[in-house]
Amino acid sequence: MRMSWGKLRTAAKACAAICALTITSLSVAEVGYPEKEELKFGFIKLTDMAPLAIAYEKGFFEDEGLYVTLEAQANWKVLLDRVIDGQLDGAHMLAGQPLGATIGFGTQAHIITAFSMDLNGNGITVSNAVWDEMKKHVPMKDGKPVHPIKADALKPVVEKYRAEGKPFNLGMVFPVSTHNYELRYWLAAGGIHPGYYAPAKGDTSGQLKADVLLSVTPPPQMPATMEAGTIYGYCVGEPWNQQAVFKGIGVPVITDYEIWKNNPEKVFGVSKEWADKYPNTHIRVVKAMIRAAQWLDENNNANRPEAVKILAKPNYVGADAEVIANSMTGTFEYEKGDKRSVPDFNVFFRYNATFPYYSDAIWYLTQMRRWGQISDTKPDSWYTETAKKVYRPDIYAIAAKELIAEGKVKAADFPDFASEDGFRPPQKEFIDGVEYNGRTPNAYLESLKIGLKAKDKM
Amino acid sequence: MKMILELSKVGISFETPRGSFEALKEVDLKIGEGEFISLIGHSGCGKSTVLNIVAGLLQATSGGAILDGKEVYEPGPERAVVFQNHSLLPWLTAYENVELAVKRVFKGKKSKAEMREWIEHNLSLVHMSHAMDKRPDEISGGMKQRVGIARALAMQPRVLLMDEPFGALDALTRAHLQDSLMDIHRKLGNTVIMITHDVDEAVLLSDRIVMMTNGPSATIGEVLDVPLPRPRDRLALADDPLFNRCRQRVLQFLYEKQRKVQPISLPIDSKKKNKKEERKHG
Amino acid sequence: MSSITMPGWIEPYLSVVKGEASRAQVAQLLRQIGLPVLGLLTFIFLWHIAAQRIDTSLGKFPGPSDVSQQVSTLYAEHKAGRAKEKAFYQRQEVRIEDRVAADPDYVPVRRDYTGSPTFFDQIITSLITVMCGFLVASVIAIPLGIVIGLSTSVHAATNPLIQLFKPVSPLAWLPLVTMVVSAVYVSDDPMVAKSFVVSMITVSLCSLWPTLINTSVGVTSVSQDLVNVSRVLRLGWAEHVRKIVIPSALPMIFTGLRLSLGIAWMVLIAAEMLAQNPGLGKFVWDEFQNGSSQSLGRIMVAVLTIGLIGFLLDRTMLGLQRWLVWDKQSAQR
Repeated sequence: MRMSWGKLRTAAKACAAICALTITSLSVAEVGYPEKEELKFGFIKLTDMAPLAIAYEKGFFEDEGLYVTLEAQANWKVLLDRVIDGQLDGAHMLAGQPLGATIGFGTQAHIITAFSMDLNGNGITVSNAVWDEMKKHVPMKDGKPVHPIKADALKPVVEKYRAEGKPFNLGMVFPVSTHNYELRYWLAAGGIHPGYYAPAKGDTSGQLKADVLLSVTPPPQMPATMEAGTIYGYCVGEPWNQQAVFKGIGVPVITDYEIWKNNPEKVFGVSKEWADKYPNTHIRVVKAMIRAAQWLDENNNANRPEAVKILAKPNYVGADAEVIANSMTGTFEYEKGDKRSVPDFNVFFRYNATFPYYSDAIWYLTQMRRWGQISDTKPDSWYTETAKKVYRPDIYAIAAKELIAEGKVKAADFPDFASEDGFRPPQKEFIDGVEYNGRTPNAYLESLKIGLKAKDKM
Repeated sequence: MKMILELSKVGISFETPRGSFEALKEVDLKIGEGEFISLIGHSGCGKSTVLNIVAGLLQATSGGAILDGKEVYEPGPERAVVFQNHSLLPWLTAYENVELAVKRVFKGKKSKAEMREWIEHNLSLVHMSHAMDKRPDEISGGMKQRVGIARALAMQPRVLLMDEPFGALDALTRAHLQDSLMDIHRKLGNTVIMITHDVDEAVLLSDRIVMMTNGPSATIGEVLDVPLPRPRDRLALADDPLFNRCRQRVLQFLYEKQRKVQPISLPIDSKKKNKKEERKHG
Repeated sequence: MSSITMPGWIEPYLSVVKGEASRAQVAQLLRQIGLPVLGLLTFIFLWHIAAQRIDTSLGKFPGPSDVSQQVSTLYAEHKAGRAKEKAFYQRQEVRIEDRVAADPDYVPVRRDYTGSPTFFDQIITSLITVMCGFLVASVIAIPLGIVIGLSTSVHAATNPLIQLFKPVSPLAWLPLVTMVVSAVYVSDDPMVAKSFVVSMITVSLCSLWPTLINTSVGVTSVSQDLVNVSRVLRLGWAEHVRKIVIPSALPMIFTGLRLSLGIAWMVLIAAEMLAQNPGLGKFVWDEFQNGSSQSLGRIMVAVLTIGLIGFLLDRTMLGLQRWLVWDKQSAQR
């Protein structure tokens, strides 16, 4: 049965209403055939592109009648530009990219997301030389460092470098990347100022008042850049932290799971224009990716070894399988030989990892404001409106309900769509213990020690 | 005899960085139909310039050339030129070189078969039928010049202009070609103007020999009639007193009256050229 | 004309086969085959030794054996890719049948295989791109070169521009070309991919200069005698160009074309690497990004392949030149 987009949404809404009333089995109007069957999605060579690779390799895209080509991109900027100019139909994106583009930080374009790709998955690595200095200040137990390691241990090292007149350079992958905000959060929590942006004055280097200088390096080049001595450390996704261990050029000091437990990571972004033009296609893409995410986490990560093999292919991540396996199969190697179990290092499905929460979007917006990427103070309502413009749980809900109706997923694995308002309950599991509530972003900003406050203007 | 070509008061000057250089001055000459004329003179005297004016490749500054009552102001196939170094298109065979000219001149006047026949006819006139399909780089210098003559003849020119056609050939080949040329001239009765600096050649081939004075402002010094009967035979003429008298006249003109006296003010280019030549000879 | 003559270089081999080779012929043979083989063996040996001593963070530098192993791996991947492609089409047929059954109005559309290109596919892509770019460059450069060569005024007007743009590297053109193509080449159902257009234009922009310059020089240096022949024959402008100028300048044009093709190939690899456009350059870049223990070996295979193809392209042009150009001297090496 073919249905127009409008009818479809009415049907979906009606269905949601029925759900709320009956809580029995659901019957959802069938999503129409895709308007565009041949699609090209971009990705960056990182393990968290896995849902795309799995949806392709396991035939989930084809099950939706989609013929998808996956293409690795050179860096995050190229990837975003190609989504904007239509060379790519969609892409594996940094959570900050759709938000940054929509509010006009960097390239201005309305990008939306209806699918969060994963939780966690990043780490901060420092070079061997920095680690040797840092280790002196890290509390030890049984001859091993006590984790999580706070940036307090890094502070004396930075001060020493600064005293010697050497700028302390660190790499992150993109100005609006999760990695930038996580690295800044960790540094600031340890009393190290990571620097402000001032886009209104044309300063997009993010190094105003900085104790350490953060700069952009594409993920796959991080290890080589650190090896060359251009940066002393970096924050990046996998496998590039583990790669440093394998190559023996650096030591990961902390994972983002320890900075903020179960933090939202990549999203699947498309342009608003594309989504409006191809609504059925978009829903079907989300359906395929929900299935892929489920497959990745299924039976307590039972499929992960197979996923590693797929990701190790040269056309996906392409790193050696053993490097990818380290983090993907639930362990993380800090110093060489110091392998610890981190079962939730990469979360693709559980804990509602794929649901695009407004509160997640707002956290990123608070960080953009905190570091000056948003020059002026904004009311709480602006944060909610912006999040609603970019994050689209409504589309996600249609896709998920369709899958539930098809019997491919269980309703219990999803939020209760009838009552879900898109805000997670206040979260406290940050490395500095500061509570975050997505409904009160301005209050949250005031509670952070380092960072811009309401009165500040860059 | 009907006059076909008339040069009247032809003069030419070239602009050089050092000012105007007058190469020719007041050249007057009338040529009858079927006549064989040689232009002879020391190098640099402007023989080639006269020929090029007739060919239309150069424009006279004063006076002009009149062919069949019409003034010459551009080159054309009715004044076909045989160049000193054959000037065949190196990427075409002998046949194709002649064909290029034939197609151009007889387009719409001859059928394909007629053209083919005409090309072959002209190549056989110069004894090149056996090498029609050879490219210039596959044949000797003499053969190339034969093809060059065939190409010119094939245009059925009113006047055939030959610029030292045999200058670059060895003595034996030159003799062969001279005989061929006499033979063709006898058969076809073309009007020919040939430049040469070979006195024997001039006497052997010509009806009249036009002797040029040295430049600058070169002009016609003397004109010698060669009343030798045709056909002429080079062996028989060797001992012919008339032949030798003609030869003598030309030599006298060149080496007594117009002995080349250096230095003379020449344009820079030809001066250099002269120096080079001196070095070569010395 | 049509008699088959034995190429000269075959003779010594024949004599050796017949057992009647003279000492001189054997010596000639040794020089022709022996020395290149010796050079190659020495290179492989030195490479082998050097490779073991170079330690990178991705392991040892790949030696000859690693590279030959990667060649077979790449071939196996190619085979596997083809098998996957076949399976893809079979699945598609089943899906189309199902859909036609459910939706009789549906007009089936066959979609192309969506899998990633194999190494060999990338070679084909690069070859097609370089050929198209080279063709576009030639189509622009040859006529323009002729016009410039024929007219001293046009030459004077364009020469500064040519000198200005000739040394510009593809790296500089690429961003501009990318942005302009994105802005200008807009179509919902483009005939060819944007990335292809970008690579092609970049290749053209960088490779047209040698052809342009050599063509104009070739045209300028048409012998004055031949120009006089043309004048005596009163050839029209078009005929003069077609019958005299072009054939005359052809050896120079070909010299330019050969230089252009060489540059086109080098530029293409750089353009593909930088702009992430499909082809061998992207293969190299992707492998560099992968940073697996196999990556260096695979890159080395690509390097040798790029060299080999560049060599073959040049030989092809040389063959073409020998076949088409009257002046055999110009096509000696």
